[in-house]
Amino acid sequence: MGEENKAPLVEVRGATKTFPGVVALNQVDFAIRPGEVHALTGENGSGKSTLARVINGSAKPDEGEIYFEGELTTIDTPRQGLDLGVVNISQELTLAPTLTVAENIFLGRLPTSGGRVDWGRLRRDARGVLENIGLDVSETAIVGDLNVELQQMVEISRAFSSEAKLLILDEATSSLSEAATRRLLQLVTDHRDKGVAVLMITHRMAELYAVCSVATVLRDGHLVGTAPLPETSERKLVSMMVGRELDDYYNKREVEQGECVLELDGLESEDGVLRPTSLKVNRGEIVGVAGLVGSGKAELGLVLGGAVKSHGTVKVAGKEVKLGDPRRAIAGGVGFVPDDRKRSALLPNRSVAENFSLPWMRRISNKGILKLQKERREVSQSIKRYGVVTASASNAITTLSGGNQQKVVLGRTFELGGDVLVLSEPTRGVDVGAKSEIYDLLQTAAEDGVGIVLISSELPELLGLADRIVVFFGGEIKGEFTREQMEEEAVAHVAVTGAHADSEEPNNETEGIK
Amino acid sequence: MSSTEDSTAPTPQGAGRRPSLGSLEALSLGRYAGVIVALIAVAAVLTITQSSFLTWDNMKNIIAANSVILILGLGATFVVITAGIDLSTASLMTACSMMLAIAFKSGWALVPAVVLALAFGAAAGWGNGFLIAKGRISFLAVTLGALSIWQSFSLVVQEGQTVSIFSEKAFNPIHELVTNSIGPIPLLLIFDVALILIFGGVLRYTTFGRSLFAIGSNEEAARLSGINVSRVLILVYTIAGLAAGLACLVSVGRLTAGSPTPDPNLLLTVLAAVLIGGTSFTGGVGGVAGTAIGVVFLGVIQNGLTLSNVSSFWQGIVSGSILIIAVGLGVLREKGWSLRRARGANAAVTEGPVR
Repeated sequence: MGEENKAPLVEVRGATKTFPGVVALNQVDFAIRPGEVHALTGENGSGKSTLARVINGSAKPDEGEIYFEGELTTIDTPRQGLDLGVVNISQELTLAPTLTVAENIFLGRLPTSGGRVDWGRLRRDARGVLENIGLDVSETAIVGDLNVELQQMVEISRAFSSEAKLLILDEATSSLSEAATRRLLQLVTDHRDKGVAVLMITHRMAELYAVCSVATVLRDGHLVGTAPLPETSERKLVSMMVGRELDDYYNKREVEQGECVLELDGLESEDGVLRPTSLKVNRGEIVGVAGLVGSGKAELGLVLGGAVKSHGTVKVAGKEVKLGDPRRAIAGGVGFVPDDRKRSALLPNRSVAENFSLPWMRRISNKGILKLQKERREVSQSIKRYGVVTASASNAITTLSGGNQQKVVLGRTFELGGDVLVLSEPTRGVDVGAKSEIYDLLQTAAEDGVGIVLISSELPELLGLADRIVVFFGGEIKGEFTREQMEEEAVAHVAVTGAHADSEEPNNETEGIK
Repeated sequence: MSSTEDSTAPTPQGAGRRPSLGSLEALSLGRYAGVIVALIAVAAVLTITQSSFLTWDNMKNIIAANSVILILGLGATFVVITAGIDLSTASLMTACSMMLAIAFKSGWALVPAVVLALAFGAAAGWGNGFLIAKGRISFLAVTLGALSIWQSFSLVVQEGQTVSIFSEKAFNPIHELVTNSIGPIPLLLIFDVALILIFGGVLRYTTFGRSLFAIGSNEEAARLSGINVSRVLILVYTIAGLAAGLACLVSVGRLTAGSPTPDPNLLLTVLAAVLIGGTSFTGGVGGVAGTAIGVVFLGVIQNGLTLSNVSSFWQGIVSGSILIIAVGLGVLREKGWSLRRARGANAAVTEGPVR
C-alpha cells in the first residue's frame, strides 16, 4: 500500500516511563503513519496502555522524544493531544451519564449561536453523526439509561465525529457485540482511507487481522517487535506476546454429560427483554449463548442470577427455584458472574480476600460471627486453585490485573459449589494468558458435573468451548447449533437476522415461544 | 465442584500474622498516621505552653466533653461506611434526651426510662432505614427530614422548656456514670471504651460488619453476591438511632436535665470526627478506631483553645480549617495512591459505588 514510505505521523523514540516499583515502558521506539491501522498488543501490564497514554498526553515519559509530523514536540496534557488531533477512545467510559446522547457527542464543542447553545443544530448534527455511524439510538436519550455497549458506541461516535489525525482505540471493543464491533471496524477502515492513523490496542486476534496492517508487540515494557500483518501468523504473534509458544488456547476437552441439571420453561423477564424461553442444560455441558446486544442474552444471565424479576419456571437438579432475588438463586444452586466486572462484581476499595469471600458469608460464619481463620484458609486455597497472581490476599483488589480480578470473581462463584454456573462475558477485558486459564477453569467445573451457561459476545470463544450454542434474537432463542453444526458464519447469521442462512424452518428450539 | 470439606489439611499460616484478614486495615493505619502525628504535635505544644493541659483532671474534662460526640460518631461511622449519612443523629439524640428526662420526671424507674430512650432512638433510626432501604428515598432527604422533625419534636414535647431531673432519685445512676470513677478511671471512659470495642468488634468480626463495607464499596456487587442489602441498611440506621439513644444518657447525665436545644455544632463535629478518622464518605472504607482518634483530636484542639483563653468565637474557624486540611491531605494521598496503582498495574481505576 506504500504506507511504509510515508513520513510517520507520530514517532516515539526511546520512551521510558517508570512508576513506583515498575518500569512500564523501557526504551520503546514506535511510529505510526497516516492512513495506517496499527495494532498495539501485548498482555495486560505489558505497557501498551502506557505507550498510548504517552502519545495522547495523559502520561509524561521520563525519557524519550515524541515527534509529531516530523517535529519534536511534547504532549503533556490530553488537551494538547486533542489540539494536535490525537483522539482517544478508552475502555473506561468518559461520558456524562445525566446528559443526552447529543450533548455527549458534542461535549466541549456544542454548536452555539450568539453565545447560546443552538439546540436545534445540536440535535440535527447529532442525528447526522448517529446515522452516519449507523447507531440506532435517539439523540435525546439520556446516556445513563443506555446499556454499556450503547454507551461505548456513543463514546465512539464522539471520537469519530471529531477532526482526528490519530485515533487511539484502547480496548474499545471490549464491551461491544460482534455486530457493533464490525460496525466499528468499518468506521476504522473508512477513516483509514481518509488518511487518519488509527492505533488499536486489542487482545482480539480476529479484529486485529481484519483491519490492521502492522502490529507492535510489547512485553513487560519492552518492545518485542513490529510485525507486518497479515503475513505474521496468529500463533507467532501470540508467542511474541506471551514469550512462549501457546497451544490452541481453548483446549476443548470432551466431558461426559450427565442428567439434566437446569431446565427453563417459559422463563421471561418482567421487563419483557427476555421473552418466554425454554432451555435444558445437562451436567458437564457447556451451553454457549450468542446474540447481539439487546437480543436478550445478557438478560438471560440477569434472570438466572436473580438480579431482575422474572416469570416462568426454573428447575435446578430437579428442584424448582424461585428466582427474582440473588439470594434465592444462590441458595438454589445457581452461581452467576455478571458481565460488568467493575460495576456489578468487584468491591473496588477492598482486599483480594474480601472480594473472594463476599458470597461466602454464610459458609465462613457461625450465627453472624465471621470465622476469620476459616476465611483465610479458604481464600488462600482459592487463590492457589484459581491461579490468582497477587503478592498477598490483603492487597487491594484494584492492584490486580483485569485477568486476575476476573479469576477472583469466577473463583468465588465456582467455590459456592452450585449445580449451575451462569457466566456472562467471563473473559471481557482479560488478556490472552488469563483467558486460556479461565477456559481451563471453566472446563474443570464442567468435568466436576456443573452445568454451564456461557453467555458471550465473542463468537470464537463460544465456538471453541461450547457443546451447544443457542442464539438469541429479539429476546428469543432463534437458533441452536450442536458442536458438529457450529460454524461462525451460520451462528452470526442467526444473531444478526434472527433466521438461519438457508430458509429452512428454524429447529424445534423455538418451542418455548408462545 | 470440590467442596470445602475435603480440604482437610489447613495450610498453617504464619503465627505472627495479625488475626484479621487485614484487608485494608494495614493501609488504614497509614491513613491514621497523619492525624496521630498532628495530635501528638498539638498535645506537645499544649503540654509545654499550658501547665494545666497534661493533668488527669483535664483529661477527664476532655473525656466528659467528647463522649456524646464519640458515641454518635460510632453510629455515624457505620452509616458512612455504607456510603450513606445520617444527618438526624444529633437532633434525634436531643429528642431521646427529652423522652428520658420526661420519663424520670414522671417517676419512671431507671431501667424502663433508659429502655424507653434507647428504644425511641432505635425506632426512629429504623424508620430512617426503612424509608431509605425499602422506600428507595435518598438518605439525604430522609435524614434531613428527620433532623428537622426531631428538632421540632424536642421543642414541642415540653413547649421548649428544659426538663430538670437533678432531684429525681431514679436518675442518680446515670449521673454517677458521668461523674464517678473507679479509682482514677472515670466510669465514662470505661463506657466509651466498651462501646468502641463493641462497635469495632461488630465491624470486624461479624458478617453484618463485613456487609457494611461490601455495600459501601459496591452495592450491586453485594446484592448479587447474596447480601440482603435492605436488611443491612435498615439495621445500620437502627444502630445509628440506638447510638443517639446511648449518647442521650451521657448528655442528660452531664446536664442533669433534658434540654430541647442541642449544641448546634454537634452534628458537624460528629461528621468531622468521622471524616478526620479516615472513614470515606464515598463508602467502603473506614473504622471506629479512626473515628475515636478523630474525636480525641478535635476534643484536644477544643480543649487547648479553651485553656489558651482563645475566644470561643474562634473555635469554629480553627476546627473547620483543620477539618478541611485533614480531609484534603487524605484526598491528595488517596489520589496519588490510586493513580500510582492504575498506571503501575495497568489495572482498573477505582470507581465509586453505583448508587
